[in-house]
Amino acid sequence: MIGKAGKIISWTIVRVPPANFGFQAPYPVVIVELYGGDRIPAQLVDYVPEHLKFGQKVLTVVRKTIQSDIDDVIPYGIKVKPV
Amino acid sequence: MNIFITGAATTIFGELWGVSPRALAKEAVGGALADAGISAKNIQALFVGNMLSGMLGGQEHLGAFFAEELGLGVAAFKVEGACASGALALHNAINSVLSGQYETVCVLGVEKMTDHKPEDVATALMGAGSEAERLSGATFPGLYALLARVHMEKFGTTEEDMAAVAVKNHYHASLNPNAQFRSILTVEKVMKSSRVADPLKLLDCSPISDGAAAVIVSRKKGVQIAASVVATDTLGLAQRKSLIELKATREAAQKAYKHAGITPKDIDIAEVHDCFTIAEILAMEDLGFYKKGEAARAVGKTKKLVINTSGGLKGCGHPVGATGIKQVVELVDQLRGRAGRRQVVGANVGLAHNVGGSGATAVIHILKK
Amino acid sequence: MVGIVSYGTYIPRYRVKLADIARAWNKDPNEVVRSLGIEEKSVPGVDEDAVTIALEAAQCAIADKHIDALFVGSESHPYAVNPTSTIVGELLGQGNNYLAVDLEFACKAATAGMQAIAGLVAAGQIQYGMAIGTDIAQSKPHDLLEYTSAAAGAAYLMGNTGVIAELVSYTSYSSDTPDFWRRDGIRFPTHAGRFTGEPAYFAHVLGSSHHLLEQGKIKPTDIDYCVFHMPNARFPREVSKRLGFTSEQLAPSLIVDHIGNPYSASSLLGLAAVLDNAKPGQTIFMASYGSGAGSDAFLWKVTSEISKIKYQKSKMKERVSDQIAKKTYVDYVGYLKQTHKI
Repeated sequence: MIGKAGKIISWTIVRVPPANFGFQAPYPVVIVELYGGDRIPAQLVDYVPEHLKFGQKVLTVVRKTIQSDIDDVIPYGIKVKPV
Repeated sequence: MNIFITGAATTIFGELWGVSPRALAKEAVGGALADAGISAKNIQALFVGNMLSGMLGGQEHLGAFFAEELGLGVAAFKVEGACASGALALHNAINSVLSGQYETVCVLGVEKMTDHKPEDVATALMGAGSEAERLSGATFPGLYALLARVHMEKFGTTEEDMAAVAVKNHYHASLNPNAQFRSILTVEKVMKSSRVADPLKLLDCSPISDGAAAVIVSRKKGVQIAASVVATDTLGLAQRKSLIELKATREAAQKAYKHAGITPKDIDIAEVHDCFTIAEILAMEDLGFYKKGEAARAVGKTKKLVINTSGGLKGCGHPVGATGIKQVVELVDQLRGRAGRRQVVGANVGLAHNVGGSGATAVIHILKK
Repeated sequence: MVGIVSYGTYIPRYRVKLADIARAWNKDPNEVVRSLGIEEKSVPGVDEDAVTIALEAAQCAIADKHIDALFVGSESHPYAVNPTSTIVGELLGQGNNYLAVDLEFACKAATAGMQAIAGLVAAGQIQYGMAIGTDIAQSKPHDLLEYTSAAAGAAYLMGNTGVIAELVSYTSYSSDTPDFWRRDGIRFPTHAGRFTGEPAYFAHVLGSSHHLLEQGKIKPTDIDYCVFHMPNARFPREVSKRLGFTSEQLAPSLIVDHIGNPYSASSLLGLAAVLDNAKPGQTIFMASYGSGAGSDAFLWKVTSEISKIKYQKSKMKERVSDQIAKKTYVDYVGYLKQTHKI
């Protein structure tokens, strides 16, 4: 799942975040169609506004996801960044 | 089907700070029993539709909880399917009577959401989606925003088209004494409201609400239930076959029309699931009222059909588990000619459309006078 | 022949200008930039850490090999107790049959790992080992370190087949010299001002370097390039001059001029920048520095195998120069948000 390429097939910018995403808001959430056919929802990182468009090519990366409690295991997950 | 709604009632919906879930339930169920002309001892089973009592209130086991509160020592069930919990509870109640095991049952939809921090409610509502969506930070408005984006790209639906849904539903709500919002909206006000998940703005979104609604289901004559159909689609948006429709809505509706022996043209009034303005536009298409891609232009301009006389989720409020039942109560009031200033003259056939999550569950009820 | 088989680097795309930091604290921006010799430094994304950065660098270096040993050196390991190396190893799909080691020694944690891996390869115990230097360097706001502490990662796959740069010889110089430290449970490091200069950086870098030159009986004039740990723009230039290297020999390595000091990745990124342009047969002298204190020195000799990697990196835009060029600016507030200070 890491380093896989795909393209954006829809996007939004979440401006009212849930409890454990506060520190990252506002952030874009996209649906990506990976080359190979699978689709995944993911947060878009390292972007500029121009990247929020249909067909934008992206790559999957590993980043920290939710803001966990200070003594929790650190949650890592898949996000996507434009290429 | 030989099955009827014999009593129906709702509480007011809104930010009911001083009212507990118990009090809400008592009011709704008491009203439904009185409307049916029966008492608690006539009830043989209780179905409760609710989504968030566990996550927000720490209370599961709602069947037993409300059975005790309502003085019903009977078979009691909680039914959950995110925002479709109410209609799912009704569907199960109907089947329990059709099975012959029970004669008269009570269905209660109830939700208490306003006592919590908005970010905690937002987190809880994400339980309606998939884990991948939760880890992506896709809030509930975020999911419908993703659908809106595709609809706008494919069919040219505009933010103004979506705003028109909010305007219409607030107008209807202004005529509904039980609605959360009583004020008139304009497209301009909606367009100026703060962004929640682009392109959806605050006034594109149904509110956080408290409230309860209840119906009595039995074989005795009342408003006829002509169809009760449930359809299921994938939990997450990424796994859907198409992002321009809610397939579960389309499939459930097609089956329901068949069961009821009618077509979309026969529907006079429809309570559809407008959790967000785009959802009503999708519903207008997926319920067969308009061709795919053509509903946006028709918002507020439907010919015979009137959509969301209660004010919908947007105007009347959306206490999640209660909505599905409230929709049915509204249809009952309309079909019985007691909808007051909201009355649609000559309403004979009504449809209620209740959706769970971003479309993973859809429940359709068709009622006939 | 033991040496580097492939390498990968990662620099987060965000930059903050030192002038913006200076202005926030009512300092003269021109004076700050002039005295440090740096204009901007790299800033991690709000959701990046030493693990995610290590993974990005490692992905460029792994070349489809199975790693028998993975050493990750950092001074910003996300956990006080829990290995970074196993998280990175898992995400790299390494299975279970490998040695995972977490290292810590201020800015020289990863170079120590390279020396250990070289030993394991030479002993025939492992076929491939990877050393990763990764940091999102932390510094207290308004502290001098705030102007240079940066974020980046560099990964080196070492082995004895397909070597692109042979490890000719190596030394290490260590002493108990507390010039820069962070106590357990304390959030930001403390540094001892001017003590970090002569008795610390210079004494140890010169110590390991002199030893390496003597050991190999070579002179700076025999060598093509040099790389030194870069805590700022001045120290590497000064120590290079003192050892007898020219500015031309040092120039290709000076990533500090563009992105500041990414701690455990500093000298390793400098080495990568040199390798990106080095030709077969050329030699590279490298000395890291870790506060506390120590210095690891290496002499590398580039082989003909490097041509393939150079071509690939250039085509994929994975050279250090490409990563330096890919940047987006944030202001001081953005920097504070992304480094979790506010």
